[in-house]
Amino acid sequence: MMVCTGCALLCDDIEVGENDCRHACRIGDAHITSTTQIEAMVDQSPVDMDAAIKSAAEILVSAEKPVFVGFGNSVTEAQATGIELAEKVGAEIKTFHTSIFDDILDGRVKTCTLPEVRDYADVIVFLGCDPMNTHPRLLSRYAYYPRGEKRQHGWEEDRTAITIDLRFSHTASICKEAYTIDPNRQIEFMDALMDALSNKVPKTTYDKKRILKLAGTLKKSEFGVIFAGTSAPPRDATVRLMDRLNESSDFRLLSLAPGYNLRSIAEQLRQLHNRPGDDSDGSSDGSGTNLHEADCILCLGFDLMNSLPAHGINGKMIVIDPNETLTSRYADVVIPCAAGGIDCAGSAVRMDGEPVELPLIRESERLSDGAILKRLLEVVL
Amino acid sequence: MKMEFGEFLAAPECMVAIVTYPDIFQTDAGLRHGKFSKEYQELSAVIVLDSGDMAKIEVKDGDLVEVLGEEAAIVVRTKESEKEHPGIGYMPEGAWTYILGASPASAKVSRSQQEIPAIEDVYRR
Repeated sequence: MMVCTGCALLCDDIEVGENDCRHACRIGDAHITSTTQIEAMVDQSPVDMDAAIKSAAEILVSAEKPVFVGFGNSVTEAQATGIELAEKVGAEIKTFHTSIFDDILDGRVKTCTLPEVRDYADVIVFLGCDPMNTHPRLLSRYAYYPRGEKRQHGWEEDRTAITIDLRFSHTASICKEAYTIDPNRQIEFMDALMDALSNKVPKTTYDKKRILKLAGTLKKSEFGVIFAGTSAPPRDATVRLMDRLNESSDFRLLSLAPGYNLRSIAEQLRQLHNRPGDDSDGSSDGSGTNLHEADCILCLGFDLMNSLPAHGINGKMIVIDPNETLTSRYADVVIPCAAGGIDCAGSAVRMDGEPVELPLIRESERLSDGAILKRLLEVVL
Repeated sequence: MKMEFGEFLAAPECMVAIVTYPDIFQTDAGLRHGKFSKEYQELSAVIVLDSGDMAKIEVKDGDLVEVLGEEAAIVVRTKESEKEHPGIGYMPEGAWTYILGASPASAKVSRSQQEIPAIEDVYRR
């Protein structure tokens, strides 16, 4: 059995044959069989790996405000080397969508494991997320459809799934209740829900009866779980909701973020520096260096230009990635690497904190991102 | 050169809040065919609009529209929504959307005669 690194569920029941990939979802199958690889390049001209690594090292050494971004699609060992390299060259590490992990890791909000969701959860809220499009097997393996130890009747009788999102998503279409929020009135919805949870009639332009009904369902929950995604209301509002819910019932939070190993980098940054990775969107500057101010941006398994508003980013760009990306077309240096869990073995941390070993699916001649970062580390010493 | 009367009139427009969403078929196309493929572009350069908003700007399902945000403008294809959501345009995550700014960006949508730019040209325009 292989482990799929298509998303943070890290499904461990994958069988990869000569011409097929069994049990994997659409994302996993495409991820494992992907052939859109890149060549080493400097200034968009093909070079050998040594030349690309040398060029990248020169850029890193001369940079005054380097920033490393990504890390969510690298194995834990490569992330550790990346942190070491960042320290060596004085670079700031910016991860994205990790802030809620910080609340989970420091015990600010309660959490649980995915098997616990399967065995005990009776009310499941998908807050600003659409797992059918991002974590396709979440519902069938853990969150909704399976029978669990205390949920023998599964979704038909034992579970209530609810979406609260900016859009009526595919996940919403199979849930028993779906609440679609206006993007400019998210806080109003959250405040109304908080009032309803406190037995007050909410003052809101949303349907009061529906919000009171939602509050009633949440309060009656024996083991509730909130999956928070990238469109969830601001972090503070989510944490406040968790606090209020846990005054009257028992709710846990899990983060549904992009990247298969984002939790690991959040854990490592917390352990090593006791500080989170910056979670800004690159356009504003919560703390540290703004991406617009950076004179060198190293993208580790992260397609920056296709994942964020990337206006006015003028620093030198280094891309280390298994696949061709939009960012690699703009990069000053492109270094192809093996993909974690495919042609690079290692370890990862599942979205619920469970450590998972990633065996090799197939051999290749590509260097792992960890090996590339180690070589950079040797050169910049 | 013959000119049509309509060319002297501004295309009708409406304001929408742009909300991004993930699309598994787009992710699949990006991994399977690459992010520079036609398949990826067709699933990415899209805006899902409310039927009432589409009527306001006189476009049909599949027509091209210009989405003018605070940071930039982009041409994408319209898709008529099965749900009502006046004033909100849903766009798949990706460069064609992020060029407009952080979600929810505010944008003006109007009919367009231009082509959808290739992904590598999105930030060059």
